[in-house]
Amino acid sequence: MKLFRKLVLAAAAAALPLAGASAQDIKVAYNGDISGSPSAESGQIGVMGIAAAVEDINKRGGLLGRKLVFLVRDDLGQPPKSIQNMTDLIDREQVAVVFGPTNSGNALAWKHIANQKKMPVLVSSASSTAITEPTGKRPNYLFRISMVDRDQAAALVAYAAKNPEAKKIGFFVETTGYGQAGLKDMEQIAALHGIKPTVIEKFDARDTDMTSQLSKAKAAGVDTLVVWAQAAPLGHLVRSMEKIDYMPRVLTTWAASFSGFPQVAGDKLMEWPVFLTTSSAAPSSAGQSLLERIGPKLANRSMFWAATQAYDTVLVWAAAVEQANSLDGEAVQQALENLQKPVDGLVKQYDKPFSIQDHEGLQAQDYHWSRWQGGKVVDFEDPTLAAMTAADFKK
Amino acid sequence: MSTTVLQALIGGLTMGGVYALIALGFSLTYTTTRTLNFAQGDFVSVGTFVGVGTIALIGGALAIDPASYPWAYLLAALAASLAMGAMGLPLYLAAIRPFAGKAGMSWVMSTIGFGIIMQSAALSLWGPGTRMVAAPLGDDVIRIAGAGFRSQEIMVLVLAMLLLGAIDYAMHRTSLGRSMRAVALNRDAAALMGIPVERIMALSFVVSSALAGLSGVLIAPIMSASLFMGVVIALKGFSAAIVGGLTNLRGCIFGGIMIGLAESFTGLWSAQWREIVVFVVVIAILAVFPDGLFGKKLVEKV
Repeated sequence: MKLFRKLVLAAAAAALPLAGASAQDIKVAYNGDISGSPSAESGQIGVMGIAAAVEDINKRGGLLGRKLVFLVRDDLGQPPKSIQNMTDLIDREQVAVVFGPTNSGNALAWKHIANQKKMPVLVSSASSTAITEPTGKRPNYLFRISMVDRDQAAALVAYAAKNPEAKKIGFFVETTGYGQAGLKDMEQIAALHGIKPTVIEKFDARDTDMTSQLSKAKAAGVDTLVVWAQAAPLGHLVRSMEKIDYMPRVLTTWAASFSGFPQVAGDKLMEWPVFLTTSSAAPSSAGQSLLERIGPKLANRSMFWAATQAYDTVLVWAAAVEQANSLDGEAVQQALENLQKPVDGLVKQYDKPFSIQDHEGLQAQDYHWSRWQGGKVVDFEDPTLAAMTAADFKK
Repeated sequence: MSTTVLQALIGGLTMGGVYALIALGFSLTYTTTRTLNFAQGDFVSVGTFVGVGTIALIGGALAIDPASYPWAYLLAALAASLAMGAMGLPLYLAAIRPFAGKAGMSWVMSTIGFGIIMQSAALSLWGPGTRMVAAPLGDDVIRIAGAGFRSQEIMVLVLAMLLLGAIDYAMHRTSLGRSMRAVALNRDAAALMGIPVERIMALSFVVSSALAGLSGVLIAPIMSASLFMGVVIALKGFSAAIVGGLTNLRGCIFGGIMIGLAESFTGLWSAQWREIVVFVVVIAILAVFPDGLFGKKLVEKV
């Protein structure tokens, strides 16, 4: 029995360094969906990006002379699970920062916890506009380096407004919370441009036949559709367009880069829409190195943007820690709002990315216009885009 | 305008055919056992994934692209029907037989539970993602009088009608069909006439589950296959059975097609009102015909 106890103790002692977390290490975490919902794909790839950034920081000697340890918590896309993960990470694991989540609803579910417990959160995926909005006078601990729905709407409507060929615009949205919030943003931004959509049509996210809605747009002579929907219904929308032989220009969100879209739309139709992503087809040398490391693990290369922006969240947070020379949540939050040195990220160079009022690291003008071609996402270019200036992105 | 109507007509008939197949499944088990399989939706989705899995297996084993071989799809449809049909037996034995013919609603819970078990097992096997199934006869748009269709829609429509016709024929013209109807009419009398009542009841569950599995594979190339897709289809199928009259097979077929058409024609006016209109129609019909349009009142013996 004694021998057994000794053996167990020895095994435990041997396992400790393997587990890798000593008291000196800095724990960082991802809390988000990596298995449950259709958006889990961006969560999984984001985790790869964060892991790569943690590895790179450790290689150059860690942060404040300490090693980073990366914890991953799957919230299955469920808000209660996400809240539970959050309190566990803050109270028990005592992490220094939380990255994520994947789904906007989950960020909104625990936003107040992060703010109360002074836990810096860098959102690397979820795109709902409300996530980074301040709540009252309290300091806001949520920062984002990802697309923002409001900015996506701003970019899409700006293009439609600027394009001389777009004479009649139609808004097509799904009836989920995602689609309705997108429609609200698009309508407000269209009003800023002084344009009125000729038709507004809605469809259920489970619909597979949108011919009736499209027929109305066709009859009204609509030449440009701005679509706010998830990957699968977007695929069914372009299939329905082909059915009624109506192919207007389609402008849409990053949803088109998710695997569900090309799967549903098929090889030919997937090349039709123009959409937004955060990384260009030809990455920088740093981006190339990340692509070489995680590329082979990606089932869908077009989602590489999810890794690049997640990678950047870690770099920007690390820069704030170095500036604050502390891991204290309050000090890091203030440093993030007032970053002195520019950070060279994969998506762009972050020069004072955040301020007290603005917690968005990426803006509409940072987005890349993309389309599918030969099974890959490539840059989309046309004279209208070339002529667009920052002033066009009204929001 | 007429092309839009034709487009809606064929779309409605296609989905209506699928609803009718599901409605038939409900009717078969209701008439023979006075119970319904509330897991019908899960049989649809799990059946689809058995089909998807079969196609992937064939592609892997023979190192071919199964999308270009229609017989792979045929085998998938067969596998889904057989696998789901086979699942109908444990469903009957575990979730129906202990409760059928007794007072109470235990079978409601036991069938729902059976479905949840099946769906969860399938989730752990295939995950929550959606899959696309390539249509066996190609994905090109076929134009008829200006309206566009894909081969699968026409195929679902034709196959559903053929199947409905075949089942209708079998129920009225074959001795097995007559036995089933005899059990439905009067279980005790049927038993006295030497009809193996137990076996007939089990068979009705097997056929009904096989129909669900087959419907799943049929619509998979039209919808994106997911393990959650069955619920809505089964709900519409159930409504179709209730509206048409659970006890009348032809009524169920009529109910399915009516709901499919109501759906697609409401869509011409406003897609958001589709479900509202469909269920208002269902409630209105039931208010006037409590046993459905063609149903008969079944007297419960007390």
